[in-house]
Amino acid sequence: MATTEVASEVTGSVWKVELEEGDHVDEGSVIMILESMKMEIPVEAPVAGKLVDVRVSPGESVEEDQVVCVIQS
Amino acid sequence: MRDPIVSNADDGTQAPFADGDRLGELAFRREQAKAMGGSQAVERQHKANRLTIRERIEALVDQGSFREIGTLAGTGRYDENNRLVSVIPAPYVAGHARIDNRPIALGGEDFTVRGGTSFGSQRRKGGQGGFVEDLAFHYRIPLVNLIDGAGGSVTSLKRRGHSVFPGVDGFERSVELLGRVPVASAVLGTAAGGPAGRAILSHFSVMVRGSSQIFAAGPPVVERSLGQRIDKEQLGGAGVAVDTAGTIHNAADSEEDAFAQIRRFLSFMPSNVWELPPVVSSDDPLDRCEERLASIVPEKRTQAYNMQRLVRMVVDKDSEFEIRPTFGKAVITMLARLNGRPVGVVANNPMVYGGAMDADAARKQIHFMELCDTFHIPLVFFVDVPGFMVGRKAEVEGVLREGMRAVYAAGNLSVPTVTLVIRKCYGMAGMATCNKNDIDLKLAWPSAEWGSLPVEGGVAAAFRREISAAEDPAAKERELEAELRPYASPFRTAEAFAVEEIIDPRETRPVLSEFIELAEGRLRTTLGPRPRVGVQP
Repeated sequence: MATTEVASEVTGSVWKVELEEGDHVDEGSVIMILESMKMEIPVEAPVAGKLVDVRVSPGESVEEDQVVCVIQS
Repeated sequence: MRDPIVSNADDGTQAPFADGDRLGELAFRREQAKAMGGSQAVERQHKANRLTIRERIEALVDQGSFREIGTLAGTGRYDENNRLVSVIPAPYVAGHARIDNRPIALGGEDFTVRGGTSFGSQRRKGGQGGFVEDLAFHYRIPLVNLIDGAGGSVTSLKRRGHSVFPGVDGFERSVELLGRVPVASAVLGTAAGGPAGRAILSHFSVMVRGSSQIFAAGPPVVERSLGQRIDKEQLGGAGVAVDTAGTIHNAADSEEDAFAQIRRFLSFMPSNVWELPPVVSSDDPLDRCEERLASIVPEKRTQAYNMQRLVRMVVDKDSEFEIRPTFGKAVITMLARLNGRPVGVVANNPMVYGGAMDADAARKQIHFMELCDTFHIPLVFFVDVPGFMVGRKAEVEGVLREGMRAVYAAGNLSVPTVTLVIRKCYGMAGMATCNKNDIDLKLAWPSAEWGSLPVEGGVAAAFRREISAAEDPAAKERELEAELRPYASPFRTAEAFAVEEIIDPRETRPVLSEFIELAEGRLRTTLGPRPRVGVQP
């Protein structure tokens, strides 16, 4: 079983988290939406699998390259 | 299959061929070359999860196509009767071979022989001004460097009796090659010195994540100079050299992956600047109109979308090869094909700071545009750029200078170019996506908008006094924005023929493919090296 860490591409804040731990994701599923530079930036699943760890919650700040969730596939 | 290892250990035994048996001697000397630095050194190389130079060449090129040049170069040891006992081969293996049945020159350091350090022969096999560079230059074929060495060694000082002035074996040929033939380098071990320099003087470079490092100087020098203790992976692993600094273009998961990337890169390139890039047959229909393109850009202007996916829907299926996917991510640069013809795609990435161009993205775009311009690969810009990145960090990194260098590089392009505005095209960063030396073709989707700066923010700046004097400044700002917004419609610009065509997003593939095909006649008549121009800002 492979685990894939999903990192934020930007420095910004978490606007909303769309999925929960345990949810199934397809490649391209939107897991959460960040806000940066007045843009809503979706965090998409790079692979299909199960969302096993969501490490941030709405309102929280995130840094570039920070791991925000983990997918197991 | 690996070659059997014949020991060339110095055991004092005499070479197994009779006096005067020239063919026997040739066979023995060839065996000695194949044995490289001996079985122990080869084992050490394998234990470090690295292939030997000979295995690397076999893994890279078309099977059985390698013709070695300089096989016998090395240091012979003779007995008291002047009979050959053994040969330690030169620490560099070179020759020519074929990739996709097209000829290339290639060579690489043999780390199993004295750690791949340079070798004091009459003529250099590889490296600066080496035979392999001359072969690529004069026969106008691509050069592949398989780098695993740290260049010169002070051990040569005593043998030579004097120290070498920098540049005696200079980079002149490496520099000339960059304007003549494709040069691809794989960093496959720890590279410093001359080999590291040559990795940079390449059109495409790749290193193996976890087992390759590259730096100006390694940990011992760093510790002596600065007192900093740092291991070689932290100093020059792919996390630094590829993802952060952009010193090397791509990272690979293994040596085999690095070779696959080099083969892929070369598949888009002509053999030299006097030829057109190779066209392949494509089974992806030219008139494929992707329905999903009609809705991929969200209605809401502040919602980002996946530009990678968008581009993949347009170009020939599975044809894309991304250059620098982990560096300067605000812009995506990839080689791809449209109806079998190579194109260079430059696409702004709204997922990364709205696609705003920062210094790294500018550097990445400049290199890619010059690469495509040099090898006659038409460029397609998928534009969604709100401008240069703003803020203190961006300014400290020199965004304005790097951004204007991108504008300068775009201004020097001679290769045909199509500009397709997907959403935003603002300011000077927008200018770096057009080529006025060409037909200056600007296409747009209906979702497009452009200008010197967006209406929002632009209104706040231009009408500052009027807004602050209003009873409800926020309402006034909204009112002014609403008044100006209709003029930002792309259709108004199309009325004025200031953008040449607005297309249905679903038609993107056929429209772009047709223009790329049209450009071929022009490309065919403008082959050859690009002239050097001016001074880069």
